Amino acid sequence: MSNDDILVRLRHLMKQSSQAKVDWDAVTADSTIASLGFDSLTILDLVYDIQQEFGVEFEAEKLAGVKTVGELIAFLRSCMGGTAGEKAAPRC
Amino acid sequence: MKKLRHAVEYGGARLALAACDRLDPRRAFFVADRLADAWFLIDHRRRRTAVSNILASGVETDPRRAFALARASFRHMGRVIVESLKAGDVLADEGGRRSAVEMQIHPGAMEALAAPGRGVIVISGHIGNWEIAARMLSFIKPVVGVTRPMNNPLVERLVRDRKPWGRFTLTPKHDANAARFLQTLAGGNILALLADQHAPDMKHMIPFFGRPAATHGSAALLHLITGAPLCFGYCLRSGTMKFRLIALEPIVVKRTGSRKDDVETILTRLTAELEKAIRVAPDQYLWAHRRWRDQPAKPASS
Repeated sequence: MSNDDILVRLRHLMKQSSQAKVDWDAVTADSTIASLGFDSLTILDLVYDIQQEFGVEFEAEKLAGVKTVGELIAFLRSCMGGTAGEKAAPRC
Repeated sequence: MKKLRHAVEYGGARLALAACDRLDPRRAFFVADRLADAWFLIDHRRRRTAVSNILASGVETDPRRAFALARASFRHMGRVIVESLKAGDVLADEGGRRSAVEMQIHPGAMEALAAPGRGVIVISGHIGNWEIAARMLSFIKPVVGVTRPMNNPLVERLVRDRKPWGRFTLTPKHDANAARFLQTLAGGNILALLADQHAPDMKHMIPFFGRPAATHGSAALLHLITGAPLCFGYCLRSGTMKFRLIALEPIVVKRTGSRKDDVETILTRLTAELEKAIRVAPDQYLWAHRRWRDQPAKPASS
């Protein structure tokens, strides 16, 4: 799975769980998570959905350093060992 | 106008604090009861809400008894403030804590609370004295309470400045640091939340005394995504500066893949436990909160 594929899936998940009015098609790797309407409370729906959608288990607190969509993609890739979408449920 | 109101409230709060410091607990309760009675008399909107909530819950069906219970609930809030201000004296040493608070903690909950480095989610409602509960738990491990700032920033600062928080700290509900709650749990703290506030997003309508109430899903989500133990607890007043702290067996729910279903399974259990606690001491519940303010739209009848 390419970074662009992950971005498309993330956009869909974010759109579902954010209450902010955002032009989701304009969201890029440089967009900050905060600018998309996520804070300490509203991020929780998204974390659940990411764990579910990408089939990864991760210690959610490792998201602490993630500020942009691009960093989130990199984080997910590291969790998936660069093999997103495969059967195993990787953990990081 | 708003600034003037805040200034008046601030002045009143300072006076109340000064009086509270000079009076012993019994006298402070006496004064708090009279002030709460005055508040009950003046604030007819909240009074009506409280009586109507009590009747709607079925806890009381007779309007006169509901009225009396609503007044008791207002007095309870006054006492919560006095107790919270005087807690530092009572809870300062272990002997004082032992004599003031009877601990009824389920062994499973105690195991989770006592495990070093393990984050725990503790849920309660506006029942009894939640601040005493948090203060007591903070002697086991640090507690971070999730809170909404007061409407009056002057009173907020006054209260914050004077409280000896110790290992009990507060964090805002909406923090720009999206990972704040997750970090708190990862740091081995207790994350304490009150789960009976109205959730404006209305994502989860959970039966509360048989009527759907918009309920925050954050506690449930935190449990599902981190696996941290989730305990329901509350602290009831049993006498003058005497309490009973109850913590139930941790709730464990495995995710099914449906976020909404998983969250609502947990919220339904938590809300049922809250209802049980309220039935034990209905006069120690904050009935004036508009818990059922929004109801789902009914489908148009054909």
